[in-house]
Amino acid sequence: MTPELDLGTLRPPREYRVFKLVLRVLVVALMVMGLLSLMYWELSQSYPFRWRPALQRLDEFYHGLQGDGGFLLTLKISGVAMILGTILGLLVALARLAPLALLRDMGTLYVHSLRNIPFLVFILFMYFGVAEVVQKGASVNLFGWVIEGRFFWGVLALSLFEASFISEIFRAGIQSIHPTQMESARSLGMNYFQAMRYVILPQAFRVIIPPLTGELIALVKESALLMVISLPELTLTAKQLGSQTPLQFEFYTILAAYYLAITLPLAGLSYLLERKLKIGAREELT
Amino acid sequence: MSQQNMIEVKDVHKWFGRLHVLRGVSLTIKEGEVVVVAGASGSGKSTLLRCLNGLERIQSGQITVNGLPIHGSRTNLNKARQQIGIVFQSYNLFPHMTVLRNITIGPMKVKGMFSTRAKERAMSLLQRIGIADKANAYPDQLSGGQRQRVAIVRALAMEPKVMLFDEPTSALDPEMISEVLDLMRELAKEKMTMIVVTHEMGFAREVADRIAFMADGQIVEIASPQEFFAHPKDERTRRFIEKVLAV
Repeated sequence: MTPELDLGTLRPPREYRVFKLVLRVLVVALMVMGLLSLMYWELSQSYPFRWRPALQRLDEFYHGLQGDGGFLLTLKISGVAMILGTILGLLVALARLAPLALLRDMGTLYVHSLRNIPFLVFILFMYFGVAEVVQKGASVNLFGWVIEGRFFWGVLALSLFEASFISEIFRAGIQSIHPTQMESARSLGMNYFQAMRYVILPQAFRVIIPPLTGELIALVKESALLMVISLPELTLTAKQLGSQTPLQFEFYTILAAYYLAITLPLAGLSYLLERKLKIGAREELT
Repeated sequence: MSQQNMIEVKDVHKWFGRLHVLRGVSLTIKEGEVVVVAGASGSGKSTLLRCLNGLERIQSGQITVNGLPIHGSRTNLNKARQQIGIVFQSYNLFPHMTVLRNITIGPMKVKGMFSTRAKERAMSLLQRIGIADKANAYPDQLSGGQRQRVAIVRALAMEPKVMLFDEPTSALDPEMISEVLDLMRELAKEKMTMIVVTHEMGFAREVADRIAFMADGQIVEIASPQEFFAHPKDERTRRFIEKVLAV
């Protein structure tokens, strides 16, 4: 046994590390603000920015023009689609790794048919194709649970589409775990699903946090395309506001900021999760 | 029934694609017996062990452990495996779990044991191998010898009838080999039925009831240690012993 090395004495003091971090954040923030103001100052030479009237509409961005859309709706769509898409993605990944050839083929078919068409095409197909045939009236009755039609089909399209990408991320993560882990779990008497649940997936999840976050961020951004089925989410709200008042430039700036308000915290959360799960992580396999 | 047959292997054949790895292996092991399997790499030793707990399928023959046909179509392999502990060369601990959790997860999730009871038993097993203070450490914070001993007690926590060891000391630094062999020696004294694939001939001579020598997918010789080292019958065994004793 080697004597314990006291890392505390080797690391710089805490105050210094905090100071360095604050300094880095400040420098980056200043650079971003500098760039932005330069760009907007340059533009303001030829375009008369009117921020005051634009910012007065912030509330409409938040709730939507009819009070049932905007930022809150985008949040709701993204949240539900993230949960559904992740669950479905995991199931498809497990199907693609299943010992049964039929399941594998079905999973492959799903991934390749959805991943290789534009999302816009898929939305149109779902809403003006499938929904026209299946749906009766303006809303969908799901076992007594009444959901507004556009919301239902929009979220469904987004979840199904994103699941095809998420499943590939899960599959890569699961396959990155050394097969000996599965073997030793099974040797203890665990069945396939217990081994997945307790041994493989927790390790795979740690690996896939960065790519999964990327895909969930893509999902939030993709939800903007749902405006084509007149779902009054954030982007459609901005567009409608722009057609009422000629403040396009200001409105689309605000629109971008609203999306950042969802995606940046998501990225931060992923970073924290990654750090938290790193502890007690590495066992080198021979 | 004190000398009941614990493991029965009858004319087992195994192919990996076109490669004929096991060519008619038969072996009977009584309860409480310790059998060391020796042989050059590629002779099929590890494959034989992996067939014994159903990690590999066999193409013909029969394997029975404690009366259960391992490759029978009606056998619940998950149930059968609870009676067969296996220890691998590369430890295969679960790196995302603490040492304690590594040991309790089997009894809790497979046998439905209560967490308090599983923890109690795990702690007494850890005390036995002298690393109770590492209960909340993660595997990557342990030395190789400690990891392998944790892997052994993880298997023991399932209270198996049989323990299989697949080159348990081959990945270890020389100074850590003895701590693992000592634990295995104790198990043998407690009359655990064991099959040990190893190159540690000193251990084999001292602990084994019988030594089996494998070559080209067959058991070419099986005898007591005295007989095995003093009067090897097969030419291949003789060459192997010469090499081992020369080191």
